Amino acid sequence: MIDMLLVVVLAGRRAVLPAIEVNSVIEVTEVTPVPRAAAHVAGLAALRSRPLTLIDCAASLGGGRERSDPRTCRAVVVEHGGHLYGLLVEAADDIVAARAEPGSLGADPGPGWSRVATGRVETEAGALPFLDIGALIAGPDESLAA
Amino acid sequence: MDDLLAEFVAETREMLAALAGEIVAWESNPADRARLDTIFRFVHTVKGNCGFFDFPQLESLSHAAEDALADVRAGRRQPDSRLVDAVLAVIDRVGVMIAEIERGEPLSEDADDALIAALSGALDETEQAIASVSGSGIQRSATPAAEQRTIRLPVELIDQVMSGVSEMVLARNDLARRMQGLGADTGLEAPFSRLSGLIAEVRDAITRTRMRRIEGLFATFPRLVRDLSTELGKQVFVELENGEVELDREMIELIRDPLLHIIRNAVDHGIEAPADRLAAGKREAGMLTISARQSGNTIHIGIMDDGRGIDVERLAAKAIASGTHTAEQIVAMSLEERIELIYEAGLSTAESVTSISGRGVGMDVVRANIEKFGGTLEIESLPGEGTRFLICVPLTLSILPSLTVETGGQTFAVPRSYVEEIVSTAGGQLQFAQVGERRYVTFRDRRLACVSLGDALGIGDDAEASLFVILRLGWGDLYAMAVDRIFDHHELVIKPLSPGIMQSGLFVGCTQLDDGTPVLVLDVAAIGYGAGIPRELHRPSTIAAHAAPRNEREGLRVILFRALDGERRAIAMSAVEQVERADVSAVRRPGADAQIVLGEEILPLAGVSEGCELPQRITVLRLGDGGQRIAYAAREVIDIGTLTGVLRRVNGQASVVGVTMVDGETAELVDCHALFSSHASQSSGHGLLTCRLDGDDAWMRNFLGPIIEAAGYRIVPEGPADIAFLDGDLRDDGECEARKAIRLRDAPGSGGGADGIYRYDRAGLMAALLRAGEELAA
Repeated sequence: MIDMLLVVVLAGRRAVLPAIEVNSVIEVTEVTPVPRAAAHVAGLAALRSRPLTLIDCAASLGGGRERSDPRTCRAVVVEHGGHLYGLLVEAADDIVAARAEPGSLGADPGPGWSRVATGRVETEAGALPFLDIGALIAGPDESLAA
Repeated sequence: MDDLLAEFVAETREMLAALAGEIVAWESNPADRARLDTIFRFVHTVKGNCGFFDFPQLESLSHAAEDALADVRAGRRQPDSRLVDAVLAVIDRVGVMIAEIERGEPLSEDADDALIAALSGALDETEQAIASVSGSGIQRSATPAAEQRTIRLPVELIDQVMSGVSEMVLARNDLARRMQGLGADTGLEAPFSRLSGLIAEVRDAITRTRMRRIEGLFATFPRLVRDLSTELGKQVFVELENGEVELDREMIELIRDPLLHIIRNAVDHGIEAPADRLAAGKREAGMLTISARQSGNTIHIGIMDDGRGIDVERLAAKAIASGTHTAEQIVAMSLEERIELIYEAGLSTAESVTSISGRGVGMDVVRANIEKFGGTLEIESLPGEGTRFLICVPLTLSILPSLTVETGGQTFAVPRSYVEEIVSTAGGQLQFAQVGERRYVTFRDRRLACVSLGDALGIGDDAEASLFVILRLGWGDLYAMAVDRIFDHHELVIKPLSPGIMQSGLFVGCTQLDDGTPVLVLDVAAIGYGAGIPRELHRPSTIAAHAAPRNEREGLRVILFRALDGERRAIAMSAVEQVERADVSAVRRPGADAQIVLGEEILPLAGVSEGCELPQRITVLRLGDGGQRIAYAAREVIDIGTLTGVLRRVNGQASVVGVTMVDGETAELVDCHALFSSHASQSSGHGLLTCRLDGDDAWMRNFLGPIIEAAGYRIVPEGPADIAFLDGDLRDDGECEARKAIRLRDAPGSGGGADGIYRYDRAGLMAALLRAGEELAA
């Protein structure tokens, strides 16, 4: 049973992440760009003494969406495969309770979404796509799957 | 104190402390099996350890206790109060001895024999023995044992402290920035700088706890190679590079075996015999270069030989023969792919299995072991030119001395171990050449290809840059990396990068500058090769050509040791075959004609002057000139060094060539020529003695005969002889017609004694032979 979910805004749409996976939500001020990295890797930041790989979630959706400016975004800090990532989203404000286990996605939610969302979950804030952190980090190019 | 010994002391102390409670409980209930087992394990462990460290007193004591307790465990003996007392006394005594070992004192002569007797059940002595030990216990409290100075900690705890310290550094930097905002004279400067100093100290200390210089591991290689090459009749010169690289101590343990394996292979299969080398137009002595370089969270360890190279043709033939590949597949393969065949299980180019390598552990296993902890192994080989192995192992936590550079407005770090030099056109002396699109800069008479960092990273074009970092890649390939600016040297803590960023292959990790900004650490090898710098196998022949002018260190390689008379002496390393420790009891006839029994050989022993007091244990340098062997007694080996200074003759000292300075101290260089010429006659002196072999003819003649002859005795078939070997079955009927008889017996057992020496106890035989010869001479 997934209890609490963090509601984020991604490419203008709301979606949820399991709150238990989230370390914190921060604002990023300094970003070190990473040359020759995949398009959805926005750069590096530091969370205290640990490096934080910033993932531009909108770019990770693919489909030619514009890269967002990290400084206007919120970074949802998650740990994945032993590394810290900052998932850049437009907003991350609410924590809501799930009403049920995530179910199937149902009808095609649109380009990119079917890849980053594993299912649809009923929450207090309505039905929302349930995001897959690994897929967001991997980005549109499947060969980068971590 | 030796690391291992310190560990032993710490471990024993730890066990003693843990045992204190058990002892009390056992005393009140000697039948308690669990307590008995604990105490038994303790004495057993101590016994095992001190056998290793050579503390015979401690060993015999713990051995006696172990025997007694084993009897109790097996029900052969009742744990009466006397036994309990004796065991407790032994444990106290072990504590006293450990304290003595820790203080580096010789073990005190105490009533150990009485204690051992008490353990074995000799009742009358028990009281006295125990009383004497309690006496020494009082003595001990008068001079309290040194406090325990080492503890053992889980690595996780150190990691935790380490990351805490990193946070502290960042917090301090933040504070520094805020203080700057406050302006001058806040009154906080002094405490702040004190705080900074303290944090730096703590950081250094905690870093050192995990890191160990790879030098410690490398230092064992020259000796290993020397022994191997002597055994194989080859000459190999070992060159070690950059032993300063520090590596997590766990990682050092992990890479030890793969490295040893590769080195063995290189000496055994790679480097040819001297004659073959000469025939191939190479120098007689092979060259084995072992290098380490640090690059972010990767350590590159290279092992390069200038031997015959991997026989790709034979490898291919074997692959076809074993059915793993078809001839068509092999033909289609590139040279690199064919070399990779060496990883196929069960393929080896060695014609015959030797004792050194080729025990069936193939490169496939070595590679699998390296990959198991996240490393990689690459092999490059050119037939006739040599082979190089490159092992890359990760270093999850590491302090990296780096150079920070800027290009395209962004800061990057370059591992300092790669940086050869920084050159700039500002000095006006740089020459450039343009070959197509490639620019070359002339650096020390070599044209080095330029690689623009901005181009490589796709963040700007500095084709006309005027600032270059000359980088030396793992194998000695140099290239010039053009950058916009060069900032500073830093000691940076390297953090691993997420796989998404590692994907590009251009970076090895990430670090933070003092203000907390993350900075990427460049993989200069990948950037260089990626920009088309050819991977040249640095041919040993060219190294040799370059070596002559640049290598001013080329002097006589020597082993420095402390002689028995306390003098610091040096001896040519090429003369030393082996260094070992021996007990003084192995030395015969101390004086000018001294001899020593080393394993299975009797050697003339030099370095022992007439009437000189011998320590209980001596260090013996086994010297060889190719044929003759001589042992040289010393107190200890100090170091290995190179003689570069001027050698001054000393008058009246026949055994030394002269005096020179090594590392700021004087050392006498031993005259090997004089040594061998004066002792050579001694070792053939036994030719006068004759030896007759009686009994089981074939065994005596074929097995025993050759080693007796090798030891310098003449075998006579029958008739009178100086020494006769008698088979144990033959009755000594007084007809042996020899002045001395050595009796052999068929079964191993305790001691030599009256019933003879076990026929395969070679060391015992040699000692008996020597003793007989000595008695005859007397």
